[in-house]
Amino acid sequence: MVGIGFRREFAQELIAGELIHPDFIEFAPENWMHIGGHWKKLLHQAVERYPVLCHGLSLSIGSPEPLDQEFLRYVKSFLEEYQIQLYSEHISYSKCDNAHMYDLLPVPFRMDAVRHISERIQQVQDYMQRPLVMEIVSYYTPVAAEMSESDFISEIVRQSGCQLLLDVNNIYVNAFNHQYDAKEFIAQLPLDKVGYIHMAGHEKVTPDLIIDTHADAIIDPVYDLFEGTIQRLKPVPVLLERDYNFPQLPELQGELNRLKAICNKHWSRNHALVSGNI
Amino acid sequence: MHLSAETYSVQQAFSRYCRTGKKGNLSGVQTDRMAWYREMVFNIFADALETAFPIAFANLPQGKWDSMTKEFCSQHACQSYQLWKMPLEFYTYAVENSWDEKHHIPYLNDLLSFEWAELELYNMEDLAVPAFKLQGNWLQESILLNPEYRLLAFKYPVHKETNRRKILQQAGAWFVLLYRMPETGLVQFIELSPWLAFVMEQLYAGITLSDILAYAPDLNITVTDTLASETVLFLQEMQTRQLVLGFQP
Repeated sequence: MVGIGFRREFAQELIAGELIHPDFIEFAPENWMHIGGHWKKLLHQAVERYPVLCHGLSLSIGSPEPLDQEFLRYVKSFLEEYQIQLYSEHISYSKCDNAHMYDLLPVPFRMDAVRHISERIQQVQDYMQRPLVMEIVSYYTPVAAEMSESDFISEIVRQSGCQLLLDVNNIYVNAFNHQYDAKEFIAQLPLDKVGYIHMAGHEKVTPDLIIDTHADAIIDPVYDLFEGTIQRLKPVPVLLERDYNFPQLPELQGELNRLKAICNKHWSRNHALVSGNI
Repeated sequence: MHLSAETYSVQQAFSRYCRTGKKGNLSGVQTDRMAWYREMVFNIFADALETAFPIAFANLPQGKWDSMTKEFCSQHACQSYQLWKMPLEFYTYAVENSWDEKHHIPYLNDLLSFEWAELELYNMEDLAVPAFKLQGNWLQESILLNPEYRLLAFKYPVHKETNRRKILQQAGAWFVLLYRMPETGLVQFIELSPWLAFVMEQLYAGITLSDILAYAPDLNITVTDTLASETVLFLQEMQTRQLVLGFQP
C-alpha cells in the first residue's frame, strides 16, 4: 500500500479521490486534535474514505525532560477515536527547557541516550497499548556523538522493542551530509523491524549539504535506494511525504504510481497496514 | 533517569542555541551546520505567526515585526504541543511585555486579539448547540445564541482599518462580535454599538431582553419604543445570519 500525507492544501481533492487516490493517508495527531468546524468535517470525510496512519510531531522522545502525560492521554484518545492502525514518531527531541521548538533536533549518539530513549519508548508503548514505529530522522550535524548512528538506532530498537520507520530519503540525505554509504548504513539496521517507509524530496542548499525539505519531488537516486532497500524487507506501507511547494496533483499521483510499481515489482503479496511481528 | 548530566547539558546547549543563537559550551558539533537548525526553528515560528496574524504581518513595520518574532522565539518557552495554538502565546507575551508601548503601536494588543480570536474560532472544537425553537417572544423569552463566538472590546478599530493614522484617529470604544457559521465553519464578525454589545453579553448570560431593557437606565440609556424595536430588529437580522439560533423551547 502506498499512501500520502493528508494536507489541508489538497484535502478536498484527496477526499474526492479523482485527481489523486492513495491507498491510505497519514497525518499528525497534533495538527488535528482539539479541532472542530470545517476541518473536523473534512477529517471525518477523509477517515471514512481512507485507512489512516498517524505520524506524531511533539512526543519528543529524546527530550531530557519527563514525558508530557497530558499530551499522551490526548494522543491515545485521538488514536482510539479515529481507529488509527499505526502510530509513528521520531528519534529526536523537540522540547527542552520546558519549551517546544516544533522542529526535530538531533539526539547525541550515546549509550545513556539509548537507555533513556528506550525506556521512554517502552513507557509510551505500555501506556498506548500499541507499538511505536520510530523514524530515523535526517540530521545536519552530529552532536557530541560517542557511537555510530547505526549502532545507536539498532540499540534503541533492541532495547525498546519498537519498530523502525525507514525514511529512505532521510538515509540518503544523512549519507550525503555525513559522507557515508547509504546502502551500507541500511544493511547495518535491524531490517526485520522495519514497519513503515517514508519517501520524500529534498533540496541541496550548498555543495556539501542537503536539507530534508519535503518540498520537492523524489529524485531518481532516492528511488534507486528505495528499490534496493525494499528487496530486503517484508511488505510494509510506504508513504509519500509532501509538505510544501505543492505541484499539480497528477504529479503527486505519478509519484505514488512509481512507488507502487516498484513495490509491486518486488513484493508479490499484499500486506496489511500493520505488520504482524510487533 | 538514564541520561547523564553531560548529555542532558549537551541537549540543553543545542536547543538553547536554536532558540537564542547563543553558543554555549558545546563540542562535537559542526558549528556551520548548527546555524541551519537555528534558521529552521525560527522559520517555523515566523511562518506560524505570519499565518496566524496576516494583518499584523502585512501592516506593521517589517523591522518591528521581525524584532517581536525573534524576541518571542528566543525568550518565551512555548507550552503548546500544537503549533497552531502557539500564536496565542505570542499574543499573551505581547501583552505581558507591553509591546504596544515598547514598539509604539498602541493598537497592537487589539489587533493581535482580533486576529487570534478569528483563528481560534475557526479551529476550535465544536460546541454543543442547545435545542431551540425558531419562533418566540423576543422580549419575554430566553433567546438562544450561537455558542461559538467571541465578544471583543477594542480601543482601536482594528477590525476595519489597517492604516496606522486612521486607526489612531479613531480611538474610542469599539465592540466586535465574531462567530462561526454552523454549516460552513467560516468566521463572521459584526461591529456592535455599545448598547448592542451589552445586549449580546447579557443574552449570552441568559437574561431576557425585557430584563436587559429594564436595566438600561442604570447605564444612562433612555429606553424608548424605538430602542426596543430596533434591538428586536437587530436580533431578527442576526437570526438570518445564524448568530441568533432561536428561543429556548
